[in-house]
Amino acid sequence: MSYDTIVIGAGHNGLTAAGLLARGGRRVLVVERRGEVGGLASSTEFNPGYRTAGILHDTTGVRASVIKDLDLEKHGLRRRSEPVPVFLPERKGTGLLLHRDPSKAAPEINSFSARDADRYAKYQAFHSRLGRFLLPLLNGPSPPVAGNDRSDFWGMIKAGMNMRRLGRKEMIEFLRLAPMPLRDWMEESFETPLLQSALAAPGLSASLLGPWSPGTATGLMMYEAVRGAGIQGGAPALVRALLAACESRGVEVRLNESVSRIRLRAGVVVGVTLAGGEELDGSMVASSCDPRTTFLDLMTPRDLPLDLERGMQNFKARGNVAKVHLALTGPLAFACRPDLEPENIRIGESLVSLEKAFDCVKYGEMPVEPCLDVAVPSLSDPSLAPDGGHVVSILVYAVPPTGTLEWTDARREELGDLVVSRLASYAPELRDRIVGREVLTPLDLEREYGLNGGHLYHGEQGLDQVLFMRPVPTCAQYSTPLEGLWLCGSGSHPGGGITCGPGMIAAAAILNS
Amino acid sequence: MPLQTPFHPRTSELCTSLLWKEWAGYHAVCSYDTVNDREYIAFRHAAGLIDVTPLMKYEVTGKDAPSFLARVMVRNIEKLRVGRVTYCCWCDDRGKVLDDGTITRWSEEHFRVTSNSPALQWLQRCARGFEVAIHESTDRIGVLALQGPASRTILAAAAEAEIEGLRFFRATTGMVAGKPVEITRTGYTGDLGFEVWTANENALPVYDAIMKAGKIHGIEPCGLDAMDVTRIEAGFVLHGVDYFSARTCMIESQKSTPFEIGLDWAVQLKRESFVGQAAILAEQDRGVARRLVGLELDWDDLERVFEESGLPPEVPRHAWRDPLPVYRDGRQVGQATSGAWSSILKKNLALATVNKGWSEKGTELMIETTVDFERKKMKAVVVPKPFFDPERKRT
Repeated sequence: MSYDTIVIGAGHNGLTAAGLLARGGRRVLVVERRGEVGGLASSTEFNPGYRTAGILHDTTGVRASVIKDLDLEKHGLRRRSEPVPVFLPERKGTGLLLHRDPSKAAPEINSFSARDADRYAKYQAFHSRLGRFLLPLLNGPSPPVAGNDRSDFWGMIKAGMNMRRLGRKEMIEFLRLAPMPLRDWMEESFETPLLQSALAAPGLSASLLGPWSPGTATGLMMYEAVRGAGIQGGAPALVRALLAACESRGVEVRLNESVSRIRLRAGVVVGVTLAGGEELDGSMVASSCDPRTTFLDLMTPRDLPLDLERGMQNFKARGNVAKVHLALTGPLAFACRPDLEPENIRIGESLVSLEKAFDCVKYGEMPVEPCLDVAVPSLSDPSLAPDGGHVVSILVYAVPPTGTLEWTDARREELGDLVVSRLASYAPELRDRIVGREVLTPLDLEREYGLNGGHLYHGEQGLDQVLFMRPVPTCAQYSTPLEGLWLCGSGSHPGGGITCGPGMIAAAAILNS
Repeated sequence: MPLQTPFHPRTSELCTSLLWKEWAGYHAVCSYDTVNDREYIAFRHAAGLIDVTPLMKYEVTGKDAPSFLARVMVRNIEKLRVGRVTYCCWCDDRGKVLDDGTITRWSEEHFRVTSNSPALQWLQRCARGFEVAIHESTDRIGVLALQGPASRTILAAAAEAEIEGLRFFRATTGMVAGKPVEITRTGYTGDLGFEVWTANENALPVYDAIMKAGKIHGIEPCGLDAMDVTRIEAGFVLHGVDYFSARTCMIESQKSTPFEIGLDWAVQLKRESFVGQAAILAEQDRGVARRLVGLELDWDDLERVFEESGLPPEVPRHAWRDPLPVYRDGRQVGQATSGAWSSILKKNLALATVNKGWSEKGTELMIETTVDFERKKMKAVVVPKPFFDPERKRT
């Protein structure tokens, strides 16, 4: 059987790329190792009657153009009308329900600091102005700094012009902030520790860095630039729509089939070999696996150019995020505001506590007070849990990567207990309502989802691994030094998370080639 | 300080000229006499014995040794049969030559690679995913090259081994002076010749036995200077002189491809992946930008440039390796990188790299020369290599 393109991995980026390629007239096959599509966005039953809403539960980065180009709304996708507020609980006090809209957020922030309420409006306005420069950068291929033809040159000029268009003051502010540690930015912006840490946290999830580490401000700016309101039903709803869109365009999906080798003939990709020995022919192979898996595991070592091999050995993918799923018999209620049933919760008392959690990671120790990014997806999709029950989805930021700590069964349970007791310190009824839990350490994530290093974003997103350096300069435009092999996963620009970004831009690059 | 090879007790006793140089970290004799004519004549008319121990040696063993070397080398080493030797080069990812050397297949899973410059790190870097072990044996194995028309007779007398039947670029094992040796029919003189490989501790008895057997055939201990003339006559490129390893080059233009240094015949492109394959394929499509050629300097023009200064013509007394610009129609089109007066051919020879378009046989070029402190140009013609290619080398 011969295909125009064989996509490896049916995660949301693999499906996005496949759907868009099929839309461009290509005959596409998607090969998926697991028994279901969706990868980190797929819903799995972790306790009888309880299903997750995917490993990554934040869908605010999903690109509108993918929804439009693949007619996802026709295939059942619904966008949220407005962003979900994030609740920041306190042990003493009332907590803070943080809306993205500054006018809605103002009354809540006011009770902490009137100055911060005002600053928050300015902060959000800065992000939206910055978006004018960052959005084109994150919705298209990265400026081809490493390229050398004329069109590459114009791409760079355009990116430069977009930055200049921010205006002199804003441009200088951006350039001042970009290499800064998040702590410095947050401290000069706000005085409320709860607000500082809650806003900074998403900027720290993608790399092995703490808020005091230089360059972390860029991660946050890139995260904020692309935020929409999110998808109703979360990541699994996105996957369902993507699959339906793919099927309607004739994309073939084969589950429970793992690719053992990408096949080359005289330096040119000719297809893949499956674990069972079956050989599939394709004039192009697009891998949505992480780059290290793609090059170091799926290629015959002999076929891999040495520079690329070295680049991949140096590519950092130290997974420092764990996942905990809780099955509850009742709602997740917080002592500081019992009447509120928040859908998103962030627990991280201050920038200092975030940095201290990172200190543990640095030295390969179990975190003491890790930052928790909590979602209760059963609030918007009650089908995930039995009647009255709820699913709590917790991303545990700042846990030691596999290389620094041996993740034994005992440590997994220790981490689970730690997370539960940390959450229970804000929500005391939690313990009595838990009927089941699943703890996934970076090692578990590596094994279950085929993520080299267990990194949920397929690779860290420090300043040295973003834009034209993601994953390495020679592969940053989705093509690779191996003719016919393309990358279309989170290891490529614009990076990880449930965004469909890499799959979308890679498909365009493939269709343009 | 440079090291002494295991043959040093003998070579140092014989080298009354005290003309030594440092070769890859070892003391090496340039010539045993104050001039190298005697040694050169031994190479071409009798036999010369030269200590080539400093040549770097790597033992590559293991199940994947053939496929590993096929990945590293431009030649398909998987096809090399046991008991055979081949010569080729290896490149970086961009198809630029790193080094050249011989590869001998001693058994199914044991190969020996020789190189001019340290290659251990590179070989190891290429080994991820291959079941191979790579060990350097440079300082454990002494190597003697016995080269010249009488070499076969001498070695047959000195060694208990099948010498008469050992064909060109074949390898065998045997005994010399009761010590185990490995013998390959290889060399760097372009003549009938052998190389004898032995463990350090056996070096002196092996050396003595060969010298003794060679005495009645006119064997001479030879140095690098005489070998340099013979390798130019044979048209062999020298790493670090006629081309430079991509590893040490400061700029792109200093690097060379296998095609550019005349190793087209050693490149096997249509096969499984090897390092540099894509770049070499692209170069083949694009066309080779420059070529290494043989030049024969015109005698009449040489007389003319000397006569202009009122001097009699003079030929170089030694092989030279100071690069000289090569011109065509007044524009530089390349450079000659080494050369020598061949007393056996009575020709003034050079190896030169010239731009595309000027490498065809018979192309007339001008080469720079200095006569009485004055720069001049004289005529040189592109001629086929090797300049000297005796029948006996192969038969």
